[in-house]
Amino acid sequence: MQQTFPISDDELQSLAKNAIDSVFSTMLERTANIKEVIKIEEDTHSEGMQLPVDSNTPMIAGTVGFIGNLTGIIYIFMELPLAMEATCKLLDMEDGDIGSEDHELVNDAIGELTNMIVGTFKNDLSNKGYECRMTIPSILRGSNFSIEPAEVALRRIFKFDCDGRSFVIDVLMKEEN
Amino acid sequence: MRLKILTVDDSKTVRIIVKKSFKGFDCEITEAQNGVEGLAMAAKVTPDIILLDITMPVMDGVEMLTKLKSDPALKAIPVIMLTAEAGRENVMKIAKIGVRDYIVKPFKENVLVDKVSRVVDLRPMGEAAPIQKKIDDPIDILVVDDKPAIISQITEGFGHTPWNVKGVASTGEAIDFCQKKLPDCIIISLSLPEDAAITLFRIIRSNAKTKYVPLFGLSVKTAVEEQARAQQAGFSTIIHKPIDFEELETKIGKAVNLDSSGKYFQMGEGFMTVRLPKTCNASVVNEVSSYLKDKTSEAVNAGISKIIFDAQNVASLNMDVIKLLLTSMKTCRDLSLKYALTGNQAVIEESKKFEESKDWKFCDTVENAKASI
Repeated sequence: MQQTFPISDDELQSLAKNAIDSVFSTMLERTANIKEVIKIEEDTHSEGMQLPVDSNTPMIAGTVGFIGNLTGIIYIFMELPLAMEATCKLLDMEDGDIGSEDHELVNDAIGELTNMIVGTFKNDLSNKGYECRMTIPSILRGSNFSIEPAEVALRRIFKFDCDGRSFVIDVLMKEEN
Repeated sequence: MRLKILTVDDSKTVRIIVKKSFKGFDCEITEAQNGVEGLAMAAKVTPDIILLDITMPVMDGVEMLTKLKSDPALKAIPVIMLTAEAGRENVMKIAKIGVRDYIVKPFKENVLVDKVSRVVDLRPMGEAAPIQKKIDDPIDILVVDDKPAIISQITEGFGHTPWNVKGVASTGEAIDFCQKKLPDCIIISLSLPEDAAITLFRIIRSNAKTKYVPLFGLSVKTAVEEQARAQQAGFSTIIHKPIDFEELETKIGKAVNLDSSGKYFQMGEGFMTVRLPKTCNASVVNEVSSYLKDKTSEAVNAGISKIIFDAQNVASLNMDVIKLLLTSMKTCRDLSLKYALTGNQAVIEESKKFEESKDWKFCDTVENAKASI
């Protein structure tokens, strides 16, 4: 049976938008806008869901979980060129300073960006009375990602545009009893 | 002396951002990627301030902070938490353990620099450091307390030093005093009515002229609540009443960055004498250790090749003193310097109880020690 989730869709969208605005404007001096919101019900797509991104574009995915009154995981899928630009901005480097094989540097930078985004999201949840703790970020690279969620009460996918480049936030969460 | 900042964060990105934030300042950044490395690095370099993340593998920031605050040699190092975890529960937890401030990620580099400069004396690169005063130079200490007896006690307690103590009873008088003459250090009674100590602290820290003046809170040891409020407001050092003047003198010396090597090191007639005081606690041992390398080099450059370690005044030989003497003696051997030890009966007896010191030979006077080498 579908569980009633304590946070409305509007609130969730606002949390995601605020987290992106805060991190992108402070750390990258850029803005990003929501282009698409995908609502996935609990009993659908159990076999995995294709993300709203070009499956042939190399992507980097950062993920951080949170545990508490609300437990969940947030994935940030970013096109590699955007990830490289973000890394350059964060570390005050020029485009050419990062080699295509410099995975460790880009992974760490995107891991930290994900940590900040999920941190902002989680802190806003705390302010609403849902205390939770974060896990350590982890990073995946590749293309044609799909996520097969374990048991979740709510899953929302937000597609953002940042100066013509795309990235996606995939939020999976459930309320703990 | 360059300011030492230790950044403890599992993200290399954050450590790089911290480094570039302080690029224009006269400071040295050391890094650690978890709490275990952070504690080891803190013990090794004794940083002036630590920027500490919370969520890290191996040992997280809360555990590192707890361990740091329970280590007598490290607990005085101010810590600013730099973290993505800003929930109320987290903030309350870290505030209880004792942090000077916290910065929530994402952060602007100028916010980081501003918060750090509120705690330590951060100077732009190339700006000349003030001439370092010596322990026996006169300095001005302002005491803000509405109890005249305490002001008299502090004045008398520093009677043997060339330090000038000026007492005032209210925050207004304190601000007037600072406008006319910048004190080297301010001691504020935390029991001033209406939280005046915290108000004065904020005024002093927000004024460009006075923001770097070291501030001490003064409180009865049992007034825990008053002390916790003061620490949350930013007081990093609290002096307990009744006042231990030996300890206070050491703390002021450190805060004002006085060269106190003259208390321990004397040179003349071909000898350098390292005189250890009666109370040789971890803080005194650290202070002596911090001068040892430079003073030994100075002695060698002055043609001195004989060193006396004088422990005649030491009340009790603890492991910290033994480690200090072992390190010192090894340095002497490495540099082919001759050395001798002096000690009183208690020190000699205690030295026999430790494996490391049981074979040490002590002379009973400095003259005999000099004659023996």
